[in-house]
Amino acid sequence: MARHALRRVSLAVVQLAALAILIFLLTALLPGDAAEVAFNEQASLEQVAQLRTQLGLDRPLADRFADWAGALLSGDLGTSLIGGEPVGGIVARSLATTALLACVTAVLLVPLSLVLGLVMGLREGGRLDRALSAVMLALNSVPDFVLALVAVAVFALRLGWFPSTWLDAGAADLLTRPGLLVLPVAVLLARTVCLLARQFRAGTIAALHADYVVQARRLGVPRGRLVLRHVLPNAAVPGVQELARTGDQLLGGVLIVEAVFAIPGSATALVDAVQGRDVPVVQALTLLLAAVALAFNVAADLVSHRLAPRTEVLR
Amino acid sequence: MTGLARRPSFGTATAALLVAVPLAIAVLGPLLADAVTPPDGAPYTVGDGHPLGTDRLGRDVLGLLLRGGPSALGVACCAVALGYLAGAPLGLAAASTRHRWLDELLMRPVEILLPIPSLLVISVVGVGWRGHPEAIALAVGALNVPAVARLVRAAALDAASGPVAEAMRMQGESRARVLFGYVGRAVLPVAAADAGTRVGMAVFTVAAANFLGLGLEPTSPDWGVTIAGSREALLVQPWAVGAPAALLVMFTVGLNLLSDRLLRSRR
Amino acid sequence: MRGESTRRGFLGLAGGAAGAVLLGSCAKGGETKRPRKGGTVRAVFPGAGAKETLDPHAQRQFVDIARHKAVFDKLVELNGTLHPVPRLATRWETNAEATVWRFELRDAAFHDGHRLDADDVLYSLARILDPDAADHKAKSSLSIIDLRRSRAISGGRGVELVLKRPNAELPSLLAMTGTAVVRRGYRDPSRPVGTGPFQFRSFTAGRTFIARRFDDHWAGPPHVDELRILSAETEARGNAVQAGEVEYAHEMSPTFARVVRGNSKVRIVATPGSGAEGFALKTDRPPFDDPDAAMAMKLLADREKLVNTVLGGKGELGNDIFGRGFEYYPENVPQRGRDVEEARRLLRKSGALNKEITFYTATIADTFVDSAHMFAEQAAEAGLRIKVTTGPPESYFTDMLKTGTIGSHRSGAMPIPTYLSERFLSDSPQNATAWHRPDFDEQFVKAQSETDEKKRTELYRDVQLHLRDTGGLVLWGHPDWLNAVSTKLHGVKPAPPNTLEWARFDTVWLG
Repeated sequence: MARHALRRVSLAVVQLAALAILIFLLTALLPGDAAEVAFNEQASLEQVAQLRTQLGLDRPLADRFADWAGALLSGDLGTSLIGGEPVGGIVARSLATTALLACVTAVLLVPLSLVLGLVMGLREGGRLDRALSAVMLALNSVPDFVLALVAVAVFALRLGWFPSTWLDAGAADLLTRPGLLVLPVAVLLARTVCLLARQFRAGTIAALHADYVVQARRLGVPRGRLVLRHVLPNAAVPGVQELARTGDQLLGGVLIVEAVFAIPGSATALVDAVQGRDVPVVQALTLLLAAVALAFNVAADLVSHRLAPRTEVLR
Repeated sequence: MTGLARRPSFGTATAALLVAVPLAIAVLGPLLADAVTPPDGAPYTVGDGHPLGTDRLGRDVLGLLLRGGPSALGVACCAVALGYLAGAPLGLAAASTRHRWLDELLMRPVEILLPIPSLLVISVVGVGWRGHPEAIALAVGALNVPAVARLVRAAALDAASGPVAEAMRMQGESRARVLFGYVGRAVLPVAAADAGTRVGMAVFTVAAANFLGLGLEPTSPDWGVTIAGSREALLVQPWAVGAPAALLVMFTVGLNLLSDRLLRSRR
Repeated sequence: MRGESTRRGFLGLAGGAAGAVLLGSCAKGGETKRPRKGGTVRAVFPGAGAKETLDPHAQRQFVDIARHKAVFDKLVELNGTLHPVPRLATRWETNAEATVWRFELRDAAFHDGHRLDADDVLYSLARILDPDAADHKAKSSLSIIDLRRSRAISGGRGVELVLKRPNAELPSLLAMTGTAVVRRGYRDPSRPVGTGPFQFRSFTAGRTFIARRFDDHWAGPPHVDELRILSAETEARGNAVQAGEVEYAHEMSPTFARVVRGNSKVRIVATPGSGAEGFALKTDRPPFDDPDAAMAMKLLADREKLVNTVLGGKGELGNDIFGRGFEYYPENVPQRGRDVEEARRLLRKSGALNKEITFYTATIADTFVDSAHMFAEQAAEAGLRIKVTTGPPESYFTDMLKTGTIGSHRSGAMPIPTYLSERFLSDSPQNATAWHRPDFDEQFVKAQSETDEKKRTELYRDVQLHLRDTGGLVLWGHPDWLNAVSTKLHGVKPAPPNTLEWARFDTVWLG
């Protein structure tokens, strides 16, 4: 196990380095640069040229990469091309909000979907299972942005139960106005719960049919203990393996939710930075978000390896 | 077996119908659109010769639906097809090789791509190459490659380590026969089911990109674009949002149902 | 001062008499209820993310301008017809050649207690004209000021500005965006100290700006205690104002106006025809180097349909002249209509009919792409093929100077001479129609340096008609400016953007 973990983590480090290069190249491919964008509507070509030189955007790509990578290794994310603020501050501020949103969602997501999946799996084919399955299938097929639009129109504008935006509010206001979280988190949960619960359900069913569970049941192991000790760990496997994809979906959802509810998070910051061609910010944000996703993947791998070690027999 | 599965014909038929309607609109719609579309009216009217009302520019929503299918479904289907075209051979090759280093060589670079959040890439590609559906398709396709390769490899390994393959090997069947005769066939339904959900997700990703203004032009008849463009009028002209959204939902519900069934019948 | 100016032949062009209408009791007189004190007003504008800045001289968006307006004042502002009116300058006069200008300064306090004097004004101008600052918006238009020869007069209570060449529009130029008067020594943009009605508290780019009432403002303290100016996208602005999360939402769509029709919590404050939407034809390349081909485009545009659909009916027809309702707008010019037959004849004559023309646009605003596609359809009715291509919106206005044969064009409200000089002179920075005509330049400069108002108006009329008949501008509509205001907020008046009453929060109050 320890060897497996070590290998997985060192691979992750290599992956991260490769990602850094990939991200740099991707941002280098973006058409236009910060100087052009900064002057959009009131541009004069001389002003653009002047700013481009000031920002060092006219230097060769290789030089810029060397500078960036060098600074990155020493922990310096650089400064924003727009406004000159250190990138670290921008990234920290926006990531904090997103992290909060994601954590609240995750804290609710895993237990909720595990319980739902277990309940459905234990009653496979029953009325409850069929009803829940149908609802989840339908809900999972509604795009995030449609859900968000409808949620705002109904619960914020029509009924006035919850705020419709985070305008004039930030993560710091959540203690006094917890209502801010309700709609965004509900939208984020809606589809991810469906996705995960269905995996947990499948896992439960598979575990229930597994030889050792059948055997244990025949030996008279009490049902509660059977479920907790034998079914649950195995039921979790497909769900855990699915966590990476869930994380990806969650991040996609965050992008939508931040846009609809005007939440000052990292997705908003990223789209902003891409539009402003603020390359250092784009690079830092994508790298960090990718690192988080990578960590998610590694964790999922390790947990599922622990839960159900696989042997690759073909060799 | 579940309750639904006891009447497979009914459930499968419903699922097929759910997929078929949007698909038929996407394929046949463009041929019919010109004949059915009335001249433009006032922005966001309901009725008045427009069965589903009009959009922001006074265009007939029904006419838009008929013309918007190819991009809404096509981009996603192409993307997944691309993903499979590149990912499946990779996965199969990695699973079938006897050399561990070749497996590593094939899979590691692919896995580097795996943790990249898809909407992240879409937002960069979408902003950079706005209005180019092929760029979005390519990006979504590339993002699918690692997952597809991984899945195919795992499924192939699974099948190859199963009792049937074992028995075939014991009887002295050639490697190639085991691989293509049995393992390949065993992988197919898994891949088909996976492709189904993947198309559904790709449809969403593309629609989400369009919703965020990162995809096609805002005057495109694409369903996602129509939803995004008309969202302001949700309360004034609900059809302009509701109708394309319903088609997207039908398509993905149907696909999910079908792939569920495919997986279940295998079990 | 008076004696001196007579001796040197100064002409008082504007002064207290005409200008004082705009402040204090008069401005609030229209409302029946007495203004109430206190409360926080939250106003939301389209955001620009990290590009938002507190530096009042830097390049800016509406949200920045509104914020700067709360903290700073300008020497001069523009009224609803884009005519200059006094602010920190109480009156001004010029010599007969319009080369030397004198401005008398108001007794105004900065937020730190310092009293305004000529040095602050000269420092502000020097800061705007700083050659190292690439992003100072007013730099090019104010570069006619010769700072070395300009000086303080009347013991610091006035300034004398000397121009490098004659310009009768200097007061308008001093009222443009990016011309705020800062306290001398102002260097750190993140700590703005101005003479404006609100005192700066905090700012996060792309997000919020908070300011408190300044009790010593020269025009009297604002009614509200606190002002918050926030940034958000269209949808969030609409939702927030409907849900009562903000009191003022800037730049709303015609659709939104329909959505809130009959809503008891939100009303729309519309400023009719306060901008311009059009197409820019590149006149330095075929086919539009031939004025006939350009005229054909003007005749092909179905203006009514464009206004009714693209602007949702919330706008007025354009007549290929910028600035409807503004000072110097030529009167009695017949509305240009649609004439497909004549257009086809002109196109055939200029040989443009069988070539494909590229229309380069971007998703800057819905109006851009929508009108481009609609115009392509309208042109097809005369047999002209127009191919619409969409570029990245972030750098569109820079790109379009180089790309395409037709481009999208829009403009906010600004004085007509400013609009012309920034877009239609051979050396204009944003010459979107690639209009390089020495005779036109000459005609314009002549009008600009004429100090007699009546003669100047005549000259500007000729300039504009010249452009309308031979130039590359198809100006099809003047959109209404729509702001959404909570019914709790009083005192909000319709005003074109960038004018005195626009985004003005010192005269509003909460009911």
